[in-house]
Amino acid sequence: MRFREKIHRATASSGFAVLSCPDFRLQAVARGEGRRSVPTVLVDDTRRQSVVLCANAAALGWHVVEGMPTVQALARCPELRVERPSPTAAAAAARLLLEAALNWVPGVEETEPGLLTLDLSTQPEAQWLDHGRRTGDRLRKAGFENVVGLGETPSLARIAAAIARQRGETLWHLAPGRRLESLDRLPLTVAEIGAEVSERLHLWGIRSLGDFARLDREAVAARLGEEGEELWLRLTGRSRRPLRQARLEHLFEERHEFEYEINDTEPLFFLVNRLVERLSLRVARTGRTATAVEVAVSFVDGTCQAKRLALPEPTLEQEVLFRLVGGHIGHLEMKAPVASLLLRFEPSDPVSSERLLFGAGLRNTARFQETLKRLRRLVGGEGIGSPRRVDTHRAGAFELVPLPCEIASLPADSKAMAGPAVTGPVFRRYGTGFRTEVKLRDGRPVMVESSRVTGVVVDLRGPWKSQGDWWHDGRAWERTEWDAELLKQGVFRLVDTGREWLVEGCYD
Amino acid sequence: MTKTRKDKVAAVEAIRHQLGSRITSGGELLKLHETREARAATGMRGLNEQLGGGLPRGQLTEIIAPGVSQGGGLVMAELLAQARRERRYAMLFDVGRGFTPECVPESDLESLLWVGCESAQQAVEALDIASRDENFQLFLLDLRDCEPSDWRAVKSNQWYRVLGQLRPREAVTVIFAREAVTSASKHRLAVDADLSLDSLDRERAALIEGSRFEPLAFPDPNWNELRQPTAARCAG
Repeated sequence: MRFREKIHRATASSGFAVLSCPDFRLQAVARGEGRRSVPTVLVDDTRRQSVVLCANAAALGWHVVEGMPTVQALARCPELRVERPSPTAAAAAARLLLEAALNWVPGVEETEPGLLTLDLSTQPEAQWLDHGRRTGDRLRKAGFENVVGLGETPSLARIAAAIARQRGETLWHLAPGRRLESLDRLPLTVAEIGAEVSERLHLWGIRSLGDFARLDREAVAARLGEEGEELWLRLTGRSRRPLRQARLEHLFEERHEFEYEINDTEPLFFLVNRLVERLSLRVARTGRTATAVEVAVSFVDGTCQAKRLALPEPTLEQEVLFRLVGGHIGHLEMKAPVASLLLRFEPSDPVSSERLLFGAGLRNTARFQETLKRLRRLVGGEGIGSPRRVDTHRAGAFELVPLPCEIASLPADSKAMAGPAVTGPVFRRYGTGFRTEVKLRDGRPVMVESSRVTGVVVDLRGPWKSQGDWWHDGRAWERTEWDAELLKQGVFRLVDTGREWLVEGCYD
Repeated sequence: MTKTRKDKVAAVEAIRHQLGSRITSGGELLKLHETREARAATGMRGLNEQLGGGLPRGQLTEIIAPGVSQGGGLVMAELLAQARRERRYAMLFDVGRGFTPECVPESDLESLLWVGCESAQQAVEALDIASRDENFQLFLLDLRDCEPSDWRAVKSNQWYRVLGQLRPREAVTVIFAREAVTSASKHRLAVDADLSLDSLDRERAALIEGSRFEPLAFPDPNWNELRQPTAARCAG
């Protein structure tokens, strides 16, 4: 069954941001203002010969490059600082990055280590640049070199980040209106394409991404295959994909290892207060609340006391949470000094809002997003949305738009405003229709014979001729419609396409 | 000292006497619940009358239109219009993807989320997911274009699971089909609007007003027969 409706294209407010930290693994172990001027490399010691994995700008200045043996790198730069990859430091840095992103918008994807893609559709477009700069600055203060790219799609946002990096800027917005103009100034290397395609484009005289984006899609697909077409789709903003929501569980946990022995519960309260505050802020940024708190206290003798403290209703009120955890800590039986304390919040969707007291709309947007995500997985992204008519006479054309978050009230005189009353039954389409044999008399159908519907025409209306898209090469259509009532069958719509007769649907 | 059965009965009677009218039997409680069952008005007088005030909340209701042009689409359009008037979201699971938005007023589409499904099985899975969402109060499942073998592939426990999820949320679910679909439904009504070509010019409100709704025998006498495998029926 052919799917005939138009698919909803990007709305004006849909946009994405890419937050990119170059050489992320190196930055995770050696970040900060002071470290930038020191030539530093990250090396891989697991191989037989230690090699350089990545180098910072200062090390590159000494011609220390990726893949070079560490010994050679040290020979070139005697002051070279050598670091090893640290999974703990990388995890902590990733958490910091994610927190900064969640401070901007709730929809975040961890695309690659050190590269996050953010869905900006939840924020007004006017605030994108401001928030982008603020997030970038915040990360720079934390010692992360980063760039922010904004674009219509995740791919374009990534290209925008690459542009920012290449031009030494901290933020770049690849605005839809000026996309081609911006791409004209970019070499092909920015788009991360294969050497073969790059070479072929070079031979064709295509020097910039803008030149490439202006090519015809069919021509690109025929000559460059899948890779070329994929690049073309990325550059023209037609390659869209849903974001894979980042896993946030690790954000809801805080652990503190004591460097000295704690024999009394009193100092624990200060720590609990700090941890509760930090976790509450973090959970709030993800748009959730806590339903329970898990507390685990480890002692130096190896024993551990863990307890799950359920909350009567989801909350993020720090005072409530502190009282809950503090009350538990106060009753702890301390047979040995405390070695570590772990707090974990169990997050849940916020409770349904009370907006419906005054209006009508989505009660729980988080739940709605979850439902949409699961339904899309089941029926595909193109099979779900709020249908809208489109300005065309082409049969079966409609577009799908996102469901509005609020339902506006109908005006009191809505009947008068709506124009003439709705007439007739509802037409139901049989997919692309099914072929039928139609017997004609004086050019009018008198009998219909098909595998699904067969009958004598007892009443008929038509013909209604329509045509369109003749101005588009190869997409012109022309049809003649008849509404026919078949004896003891019902009312159907017959269509003569010029090549065949179809039963397009029924009135029900 | 062990208590005899007689003593135990006497003790229970004494407690009942103490509690007086506060305690009711299970049957009375059930009856009370039945009468208190919430209903959602449909905007269609004939349908409301047959259902005792409206569609039961937290239940499945089947609207059966055995043939083409009997008014199944009219009922669906009116339910969408009613949801819009009450500013409630509706979700339509459209098996066969035959829904035509041009036949529904633009304003009625504002509160509708359309889900195009390939089969009845997929539609019920989608309903299973969606029925957990408290944002939606009306679910419409359009199985009119389904072959009976398609919806018979849906296991009965799937219907009951959906039902279990609908009850606490008190969401209304209406199934449109050509035949009886599931024994999990609370009500099953046949609709007959007897549409002809002249109906295309008549106001939709008048067509709905003229539609007849008739409760079908429930459970359907043919239901068990239909559920049997074809081979078994042939052998019989």
